[in-house]
Amino acid sequence: MLAEVQAPARVDIAGLSHPGKVRAANEDHFAIMTMRKSVELVATNLQDTTVLDRIRRPEAHILVVADGVGGASGGQLASGLAVRSVVEYLAEAIGCAQDFDVDHEQTFLEHLSRAVERGHERLREMFQVQGGPATTLTMVTLVWPRAYVVHVGDSRGYYLRHGRLRQFTRDQTMGDYLVDIGAVTSQHAEKAGLYNVLSSAVGGDLVPSVGVVDLAEGDALLLCTDGLTKHVPDEEIVRMLSSGPAKAAAESMIDAALAGGGTDNVTVVVAKAE
Amino acid sequence: MIQKKICMVGMYGTGKTSLVQRYVHSIFSAKYHSTVGVKIDRKTVEVGNETVNLLLWDVEGRTDDQDIPASYLRGAHAMFFVADGTRRDTVDQLFDLRDHARDAAGDVPSIVALNKADLQDQWVVGAQETSKLISGGFHVLKTSAKSGEGVEDSFKWLAKATLGSPPSATDNQQVRNAR
Repeated sequence: MLAEVQAPARVDIAGLSHPGKVRAANEDHFAIMTMRKSVELVATNLQDTTVLDRIRRPEAHILVVADGVGGASGGQLASGLAVRSVVEYLAEAIGCAQDFDVDHEQTFLEHLSRAVERGHERLREMFQVQGGPATTLTMVTLVWPRAYVVHVGDSRGYYLRHGRLRQFTRDQTMGDYLVDIGAVTSQHAEKAGLYNVLSSAVGGDLVPSVGVVDLAEGDALLLCTDGLTKHVPDEEIVRMLSSGPAKAAAESMIDAALAGGGTDNVTVVVAKAE
Repeated sequence: MIQKKICMVGMYGTGKTSLVQRYVHSIFSAKYHSTVGVKIDRKTVEVGNETVNLLLWDVEGRTDDQDIPASYLRGAHAMFFVADGTRRDTVDQLFDLRDHARDAAGDVPSIVALNKADLQDQWVVGAQETSKLISGGFHVLKTSAKSGEGVEDSFKWLAKATLGSPPSATDNQQVRNAR
């Protein structure tokens, strides 16, 4: 069940995407949206303003990144369609997000998973073939202080606390899966390119991973596609996430990925609780 | 459908994730990954005439410098404590972990899995420690996420307990076998 809803002073969020230096098309997409139902007390001469606490409603910040696969136009279409479907579904269906009753947390999580499934179904309807375009999708819904995570594929989610960067998603690739169950060694998986094959994808074999992470004031959240992590080491990411506003951190990371080679599309979404 | 939130609680590296993976997906991974935050899996089980949707909250383990956030445990209907039978410290911490969990979620049904039963040559938990746990009010089972030993039984026992069903003689026998 949900921890008590507490509002941080402000959540500063920014997202950026770049095609990189090699690829002609950008197959990555991202979306950031905030859902709120606010009741604002404009003026009063009431002595007791605790009424404000009772009528205040929490905000839900929804952050999504997706990295399409299946050829330039197919991948672009897949990630765009998936993100659009998620956004549409949540905007239509998640009236419950306006009132985060702790007893309904599981229903809320099911809505989030359902949003990802909607994207999956749309892709399947459109292509109706095995091995058609697919996409990764990592989504965080932040209802402070809780971050609800639905993750598919090998894009990543991290949070930074007191200088320590922790990855809260696990890459869903054939390499990771086969190494985990002891079928192959990591060297073999690397050599065979198995880390480049998704074991779970929206539009492919969909096995979403669901979880939660509770954040604290001062934490920074990062969602990114692999165009960042293949070029920028963790310690650099820590340095860039640690200071300045979210937009500056996002710009620094895109610049670093390009400076590191920019061999892939790169997308980052950064949220900082102030 | 009835839904029950079950939290997997223990020190880091005791095999909480492996037990869930074995129970839900019938797979075992020898490679260790520490859980960050909570990973949530679901499994639907039949308990008597009831269909129960178990929501398995695989909570990041306690480390020397980080306790388990109480916020993850709130609202749980049961606690699945996991200790590593090859590491005495993970058993020693169980009473403290139970206090921590009670503070967050109240006095809910619980079970202790003494995990990694396949590593008999490294096993350090003797009859005395197990008796101490049982006399301290824990239901104790030996499990192995690798072989599957005790995994189904432990979740089944806990699912029954969340419904207030008295465990059967067979269930209790399995618990006693951990001694």
